[in-house]
Amino acid sequence: MKKTVITTLALAAIFGLNGCGNAPESSSEAKTYSKTPQQVWEGKCFKCHGKNAEGLTEKKTPAMNDRQAGELELDLYDVKNDGLNQSSGTEHDKMAHNMKKLMEQGWDYDPKAMAQFIEKSFYKMPSKTAQEPAVEEAPAVEVAPEAHQAS
Amino acid sequence: MMKEGMELIDAHFKGEGVSRRDAMKMFGAGGAAMLMGSGVATEASASSSAVKAKIVIIGGGLAGMSTAARLTNSLDNPDITVIEPGDLATSYQPGQTLVGAGIWEKDAVMYNTKDFIPSGVTVIKEKAVEFDPDNNSVTTSGGKTLKYDYMVVAAGLKLDYARIQGLGIEGTITSTGAHDNVSRVIGKNGIASIYFQQGSADTWREMQKFIADAKSGKRVKGIFTHPNTPIKCGGAPKKIMYLTDARLREAGARENAELSFYPNGSKMFGVQEYHDAIVNQFEARDMKWNYRHNLVGVDPKEKVATFTRHWQEKGEWDEDLEEYSIVMRAETVKKEFDFLHITPPMKAAEEIGNSPIGSSKGWVPVNKESLQHVKYPNVFALGDIAAVPMGKTGGSARKQYKVVVDNIIAMMEGQELTAKYAGYTVCPLITSIGTVMLAEFNWTKKPTPSFPLDPTQERWIWWLLKVYALKPMTQYGMLSGRA
Repeated sequence: MKKTVITTLALAAIFGLNGCGNAPESSSEAKTYSKTPQQVWEGKCFKCHGKNAEGLTEKKTPAMNDRQAGELELDLYDVKNDGLNQSSGTEHDKMAHNMKKLMEQGWDYDPKAMAQFIEKSFYKMPSKTAQEPAVEEAPAVEVAPEAHQAS
Repeated sequence: MMKEGMELIDAHFKGEGVSRRDAMKMFGAGGAAMLMGSGVATEASASSSAVKAKIVIIGGGLAGMSTAARLTNSLDNPDITVIEPGDLATSYQPGQTLVGAGIWEKDAVMYNTKDFIPSGVTVIKEKAVEFDPDNNSVTTSGGKTLKYDYMVVAAGLKLDYARIQGLGIEGTITSTGAHDNVSRVIGKNGIASIYFQQGSADTWREMQKFIADAKSGKRVKGIFTHPNTPIKCGGAPKKIMYLTDARLREAGARENAELSFYPNGSKMFGVQEYHDAIVNQFEARDMKWNYRHNLVGVDPKEKVATFTRHWQEKGEWDEDLEEYSIVMRAETVKKEFDFLHITPPMKAAEEIGNSPIGSSKGWVPVNKESLQHVKYPNVFALGDIAAVPMGKTGGSARKQYKVVVDNIIAMMEGQELTAKYAGYTVCPLITSIGTVMLAEFNWTKKPTPSFPLDPTQERWIWWLLKVYALKPMTQYGMLSGRA
């Protein structure tokens, strides 16, 4: 009898563990936003990240024009959700805090839509020669410039 | 339990419009082996396609090999090559938690890669070391250059114990590859880690010593860490702690042990409902936790763990933000331990992360729904190496490999890519010997239970699922490309 239960469980697992397999068609969040990504960008983001999303040294903000939407979205997701993992924490402590405040002020956005807007408006394809040194440095950078996790 | 199980299963099949009797008739009963032969036990597969293309898969773990199997099933003329150097790469990693707590033997999670190669698939037992996606080619450690029409990157991730000072470890390891450099220090002197296969077996030995000390009347301290990088199976650092708690109770020695969780982050789970449930479970078991501690060093002789503790302080008024900014502060703190479970920092392999298909963080950047590379349309990535939020579990891979296969076939046939991954992942959070909370969720950050039961409850039936059903499900379902 135990065998039957286990077998049935295995079957149920195969059929069942679909976590609502009929996934929502839309993107990450079934949520509506009062402002378009462009409105949020023009109202807030550019002030610290620069008119062309190039990042501002005096604000110590990272550039956002060097990544395509898929990659950028992961960062925005991390910022908005204060981390991507159960207990790893965020790679963007400061911005996660700022984002919380911005959302309270009504400057909320869908990470996917925002990433697409930034790519479409500002993305600069890094030239082959320029890309290589930047990539080599990458592994040493634990976190984005804004993070201060060092001891 | 029997009753609960049957009711549950009935409820589920009812939802699918199938009675239990019919379901039983459809599959017959007796052993998970039947799942192998039953073509019915599949979701609608991409219809067989006669289009020809050369497909190269980087990595023969669960994600890569399941993709190879499903492509083989779906193509009339498959031409598939898997590049995988490891003999045990296909092993059942989710079982390592159970090995670490002495519930399974190590043998139970060891799968020989060669036993899971779909017929007709070529395996090159080398490492892929150079990527030239502009010319659709990849070069192996043995100097072979392969051209492809489509490439699937499923190379998993690397365990970076070397980032922790004081252990004397250099270089990274994988969960089933060579680990001598790590095993010289981890798996000894009360230092344990279930994240690699041998480490999981050694964890059980070290845990037993810890429990014996507690039983002898000694006051002992157990520390469980969680690093500041994305990790595979985000629940495992807690599961091994719950199981240590359970084994101590079983030995009647719990009151002599202090168990503390030290995660880098500031919450237990990204989904509020599960976070709350876990906090309650920790409190009920007198398990302690200290957020915002990142393990940076270990002194194996003195048995001292060094953490960077970090916190936020209110900074100056920021006119652009129209709010006070914050300032990050950090200090070094040292904690003594008798038993230390390390969850190592993790990263993508350098040869991939630093290549044109990698990214500044190493993970392969893909459209998180279609799993197609952001720069190279004929490259796809899935599993631990893909840059998608959450994920990095076998449960995610189980959803992703079907999306990748459907989208590659659609592309081969000149169709739109319509298959989408929605972020589903599952964490069967083992909370004791005999109970599991089945935490299923997706990018909506809401629980997405597969069964009509409160997902925040710990249940015996999920324990049975975890311990008996999920392994055959991957072995016969996923690795055959069917489920």
